[in-house]
Amino acid sequence: MSESLPRAANLGLAGCHTCGKVSPVTLGLCPRCGSHLHLRKPSSIQRTVALMVAATALYIPANILPIMTVVELGDVTENTIISGMMTFWRQGAYPIAIVIFTASIVIPLLKIVALTWLCLAASGRLHPSPGMLGKIYWFTELLGRWSMVDIFVVGILVALVQLGNYMTITPGPGALAFAGVVVLTMLAAMSFEPRLLWDRLEALRTNSPPLKKADP
Amino acid sequence: MKRPFSRIRLSALLPWPKPSGGPHYSVCHVCDTLFVAEPLPEGTAATCKCCGTVLYQNRPASLARATAFSITALILMVVVHSFPFLIMDAASIRTTLNLASAAVALFDQGSPILAGALALFTIIAPLVMASGLIYVCGPLMIGRVAPGAVHVAKWLNKTEPWNMIEVFLLGVLVSLLKLGKVADVHFGLGFWAFGALMVSMAAAVAAIDRDELWDRLEVAKS
Repeated sequence: MSESLPRAANLGLAGCHTCGKVSPVTLGLCPRCGSHLHLRKPSSIQRTVALMVAATALYIPANILPIMTVVELGDVTENTIISGMMTFWRQGAYPIAIVIFTASIVIPLLKIVALTWLCLAASGRLHPSPGMLGKIYWFTELLGRWSMVDIFVVGILVALVQLGNYMTITPGPGALAFAGVVVLTMLAAMSFEPRLLWDRLEALRTNSPPLKKADP
Repeated sequence: MKRPFSRIRLSALLPWPKPSGGPHYSVCHVCDTLFVAEPLPEGTAATCKCCGTVLYQNRPASLARATAFSITALILMVVVHSFPFLIMDAASIRTTLNLASAAVALFDQGSPILAGALALFTIIAPLVMASGLIYVCGPLMIGRVAPGAVHVAKWLNKTEPWNMIEVFLLGVLVSLLKLGKVADVHFGLGFWAFGALMVSMAAAVAAIDRDELWDRLEVAKS
């Protein structure tokens, strides 16, 4: 970050979260769209952490409980996310197994790890390197929605496979938990404020040189 | 007041207007760097000098494209809901799936929350996006603001992340592969319409920059 670029918050200006108009934060409400003006999203770290803790807690039942139950000629098979993926893998359908593995297991975990890292950096417990962390943030926001694919598959299979005694599929409690994980991690990513990382960096830049001089 | 046709066309193709007064500013939503929002040539984007985030983009024929692609999306929605997605023949029973039936089936099988989520992400959110864009951008083409357009525009922002039609399309493909072993499954007209719907929704959303939409609303209101 070069020294010459002004930062809006230092001038008391806030960009509206909804319409983007830049106004003095003292106005309280955006003059264009009426949304509340904030220099930073309010209590963003607390909200992100709370949503993430909830998502992490739900991630366990989401993977242990069955997302759907298949009854085929009287045989009951409980499918979890992992067993569904393993079935594809055993059948040799590697690309689709990898897609499901990425969407259902890697992305939610990656989001939880990434957001934890971002929150630690934003609260000053880790060095903020906004360049890389910014990319991570952008990536988690972009990819989060794709985890929903397993829930849609359950919905489609439940709708299609109602063949009486031959084969029926019903949704399991794991599906609800997993949908909760996806929604909660999306909300967590939305409530995170990337500007906090840059605030940390600015504080380091302006405060640390005098501290270093004072040290020896 | 009746406007001559030439005025109407001009208004629709008018470049991105700036509200009176100024200078106008833009703040990077990632790093909070403040910029003077200079007008851009069409088809270009302004990026943050500090972190590289796109600040705003000037899309060519933005209002016309947003409206046209949204109307296309609405028409395709009618097709998607009228024709089956997948047709499955198994155990001498033919089952068909359309967009609403997945949500209805989940509801019937005792998962009302999942059914609601599915309906929200694949039916309601795309419908709100497409009709909202038409409601806001259509009248703006002739320099008018529809009543309550500001509220509708705010809802467009809120709805956008929950529009998951492309994810649903992937879900259809995965389901097809899962069922391929047990039954004879083939695509219906609804599937192809849904693919086209995905493309036109993406084109409609990408047609107009948020800042441009709000600047045009502000100019048209004053």
